[in-house]
Amino acid sequence: MSIITQSITKADREARYLNPSELTAIHDFYQTGRERLRIANILSSHETQIVEQGSRRFWERCPITPSNCGNPVYQASCLRDQSWYVRLVTYAVVVGDIEPIADSGIRGAKRMYSSLGVPLNNLVSCMSCLKEAALAILTVEDAAVVAPYFDYLIQGLR
Amino acid sequence: MQDAITTLINSSDMQGRYLDNSGVDKLRSYFQSGEMRARAAIAISANASPLVTQAVAKALMYTDITAPGGNMYTCRRYAACIRDMDYFLRYATYAMLAGDTSILDERILNGLRETYNSLGVPVGATIRAVQAMKEVTTDLIGADAGREMSVYFDYICAGLS
Repeated sequence: MSIITQSITKADREARYLNPSELTAIHDFYQTGRERLRIANILSSHETQIVEQGSRRFWERCPITPSNCGNPVYQASCLRDQSWYVRLVTYAVVVGDIEPIADSGIRGAKRMYSSLGVPLNNLVSCMSCLKEAALAILTVEDAAVVAPYFDYLIQGLR
Repeated sequence: MQDAITTLINSSDMQGRYLDNSGVDKLRSYFQSGEMRARAAIAISANASPLVTQAVAKALMYTDITAPGGNMYTCRRYAACIRDMDYFLRYATYAMLAGDTSILDERILNGLRETYNSLGVPVGATIRAVQAMKEVTTDLIGADAGREMSVYFDYICAGLS
């Protein structure tokens, strides 16, 4: 949920207009919108590279894992899911909120991966590697915007 | 409710796609108009009740609707009318900030026409009042912001008719 929707929902519950501090916060959010779009665009245009680097790191760190056992289906699913997580992070960056990650990437994820036989510890390592690979292509300022969303993702899968 | 951003993200997510160029362009212009939206919301919230008064004066006050036998006759019905106008203005302002009409459907329009019909509230006069509110609001906030607010006032009218 963006700060816009959050503030409106709250004001509506109290049947009032948005107050000056809420409007100031929304105004700031509008102003930083372009920047967030730019950062999301960097991530999406480097998705392949991020996933490639992330996987390489992951398999070095966790060599014994289904996606590295020689089964091409497992390997392809691992790469595909990583690209999905990069995509969810770009949504979160644009909307300025963790909701897209929480809704589409975390709720039910642990149960799903357990039932598929994916070791959860390895999943968490994989997301850490993905984070490192993503932040590596960003400037320090941009990385500071993106890192919290990866951290949220990693915490949520623990 | 949704806003301009969450609508695009939700539909991209369902298709498993990144925001495409047209989506990014849409968001860019939405963010660019943010200054205007925030200013308009400040002006409207500071003038909400005079705006409603002016709109009612312009569209309804001196017509048969406020005379005995009209749907705004007796103070109770008059008060109900300006309360509804208050709602329309507040929700149109929310929708303008969000850049999205979904809150109008969810909080105002679902079932409104049926309610008005069952209460005998004339839809034509209601639409005239909303159009008048659009005019007085535009006078207050200027042409550009007025055009943006008009989108949501017109959406309310379309939902009523």
